[in-house]
Order: sequence, then C-alpha cells, then structure tokens
Amino acid sequence: MNSLYRWNFAPVLDNLDVLWVGAIGTLRLFVICLVLGFGFGLVVGLGRHAKASWIHLPATAFVEFFRNTPVLVQILWFYYALPILLPFQISPLVAAALGISLNSAAFSAEIYRGGIESIDRGQAEAARALGMTAAQAMRRIVLPQALRRMLPALTNRGIEIFKMTTLASAVAYVELLQQGKLLASLNFNPIETYTVIAVVFFLCLFPLVQATYALERRLGRADA
Amino acid sequence: MHVWNFAPVWANADLLALGLLNTLKVTGAALAFGVPLGLVLALMRLSPRRLLAWPAGAVIEVFRTTPPLVQLFWFFFALPILIHVEMTPYVAAVLTFSIQSAAFFAEVFRGGIVSVERGQWEAARALGMAPPQVMRRVVLPQAVKRMIPAFLERAIELMKTTTLVAIVSYADLLFQTNEVAQKTFRPLEVFTVTALIYFTVIFAASQLVHGLERRLAASGEGMTR
Repeated sequence: MNSLYRWNFAPVLDNLDVLWVGAIGTLRLFVICLVLGFGFGLVVGLGRHAKASWIHLPATAFVEFFRNTPVLVQILWFYYALPILLPFQISPLVAAALGISLNSAAFSAEIYRGGIESIDRGQAEAARALGMTAAQAMRRIVLPQALRRMLPALTNRGIEIFKMTTLASAVAYVELLQQGKLLASLNFNPIETYTVIAVVFFLCLFPLVQATYALERRLGRADA
Repeated sequence: MHVWNFAPVWANADLLALGLLNTLKVTGAALAFGVPLGLVLALMRLSPRRLLAWPAGAVIEVFRTTPPLVQLFWFFFALPILIHVEMTPYVAAVLTFSIQSAAFFAEVFRGGIVSVERGQWEAARALGMAPPQVMRRVVLPQAVKRMIPAFLERAIELMKTTTLVAIVSYADLLFQTNEVAQKTFRPLEVFTVTALIYFTVIFAASQLVHGLERRLAASGEGMTR
C-alpha cells in the first residue's frame, strides 16, 4: 500500500460554477417531474378508483407497467426508441422527464388510491345524500381528508424523484452528477468530486427525510 | 411509418439472455450480502449503546438519502484510488447495492422487531433468557414472518436498481440491450423487448409477493413496512 491518499478539495471548490449549472439542471428536472408525476398520478389514481372498466383497466395497466419496469429502461426507451416512431428528435430533458414523470405517476397513483380508499365510505355517501355530485364529494369531502393521510407517502415519493433525477445523466442531461462526471474527468479527482456530489444530495434530502419522519409521527398520533 | 422488425432481436437473443443472467447474478449477490448486513445494522441501531447505534444510524441514513447512482460512481471511480485496488464494475455494483439495500433492509428489520409486543420481550427475559436469546428465539421468528412482504418488495426494488450497473459498463440486461441496439440499428425493437422482459420478470415476482401478502394477512399476521 502506498502513502495515504491526500484529499484536496480545492479543484472542486474552484469549479463551483460548473456544479451550480448542474444543480439548476437537477432542480429543473425535479420540479417538472414532481408536478407532472403527482398531477398525472392523481388522474390515474382516480381512474383506478372509477367503476367504468374502460377507465380503470387502462389505468391499472399503466400503473402495473410503469411500476414493474426499471426507470432507467423507461428513460432509455424514450431517448433511443421513441424518436424512431416520431418525426422529431427527443432531447435528454424530455426523455428523462417523460421516464421519471410517468414512473412517479404510477407510484403516486397507488398512494392516491390507497388514501381515497382509506376514507370511510360513509363520508362519500353522506355527501351524496346532501345533494353533492360524485365529483363534488370527491373534491370537497374525500380528497382533503385523504391528502392529509397521504402526505408522508407523497413526501417519500418526492425524495425518490429527487434521487431519480441523477439517472438523467445516462442520456447526458446536464444535472449535478453529469457535471460531476465532467469535473472528475477534467481534474482527475473522482474522490473529491463524487464525495462533494454525495454530500450535496445528502444535505438537500436529509432535512426532507427528517420532516417526513416527523410528519409520520404526528399523523400517527393524530389518528390514534 | 416505421416497419417493426423483431428478427434482429431474436438473432441476438443469446446476448440478451446473458444480460438477464448477469442482472440476476448482481441481484442475487447483493441480496446475499445485503440481507445479513441489514440485520446487523438493524440490531446495532436498536442497541442502547451509542457506540453501536450511531454509526449504524449514519450508514442507514446516508445510503437511504443519496442517489444510488452517485453511490455507484463513488465506489467505482473513487474508492479504488483511495484504497489502491482494482475495481471491476461487478464488484463495485455488488458492493454498492449490498450496502444500499442493507440500509433499506435494516429499516424493514427494525420495523418488524419493534412491532413485536414489548410484553413478549419482558416475558422471555423473566423466563431467564439472555437478551440475544430473546432476540433469536422469541422476537426475530415472529418479526421475520411479518417482514416477508416488505422484504420481497425491497428485493424487487433492488432488481430494478441493478439496471444502473449498465452505466459503468457491466454486461447486465440493459447494457446488452444497448449493445444489440447499436449493432442492429433497431433500438425501438430491442428496447421494447427488454422493457417487456423486465416487466415479465418483475410483474411475476410482484404478483407472487401480493399473493403471499394476502395469505399472511389471512393467517392473522399483519405486515410492517
């Protein structure tokens, strides 16, 4: 064994602007996937809850397919395979956003469905008896209560989405890890660079994870 | 209009089969190391001694809150320089996914152990068993039964995560797919077939888990997540 490795973070700190560009890319992808994933997930979740089979069968097929294939395969499919069917190219951002959003939609749909089904049937029936339409009962009575219970599961999904954004580097989308790769190969310092990247992700996500734990405890007490 | 042609995919079916085999190999190896390590981490984290509980908690939190791809890059590119060893993509993948899944398994174990009523623990102690005996004979057997569904679900997650090794050029199913796609100029067909292969394997596994979950629920054993 040679002498001990001497850590030197100076080259990483000198290139913070490069990492900053990556951080913006990570955030942009995260926000897009969060909004599209949770939004479309709600549609699919309500679809799975529907009685009409022409609605809930496709919704179920969608959920099962996207939950049971790896995200990276989905991203690469959108990047390499889909453009062949389309008359235009697909940018790395679009491919990554499609893959991660649809995957998250499938997972969050199950959270929404579980949340909706956890609300006592009597509530929806009472709302209907008061003259609300099914859609009104869902929006005014069931969803507000369900959302509260779903909050910890949804925050967890959000954390997963944040971690998944790193996969966009596989299609060369400019995000934090991609910029890290660039720096590591330019400065020959993978140790410091990847350590910094890991620390950045940890610092971003750890408070969120702790908040989720606290939320779980609080809801656990409130429901008890 | 694109004319679908799956013939080039079938012609390279052996390459994809090899990839699938390698995917299963990494998954199996990571499970073999990850599960025992997860149990150790869980027991350490539950220990009243801070010297044991803190490091275990740190490992669990770090590996649960950083992206697996960053971990893989660290183990593949950074660790070899730090400790002067040759790192192959396979070793890096098994190392990363073992520790990463151990962090998740540890939480499953912990949830299961904590879910066993305190009275059981106290009763066993009152009968004269030492703490390790109580854990081994009374708590763990009950906890493990409750953990099975959460456990298998984690194993399925692990298999999906192993696709990341393709990025460091280990010849798993996804990597082989990319190779075949480049060789045949048929990315649409090859990637579609691969998506279907993953779907078939993972869907079958999840159906088994759900069946088991229902049976365990019917036998009066709740589940923990």
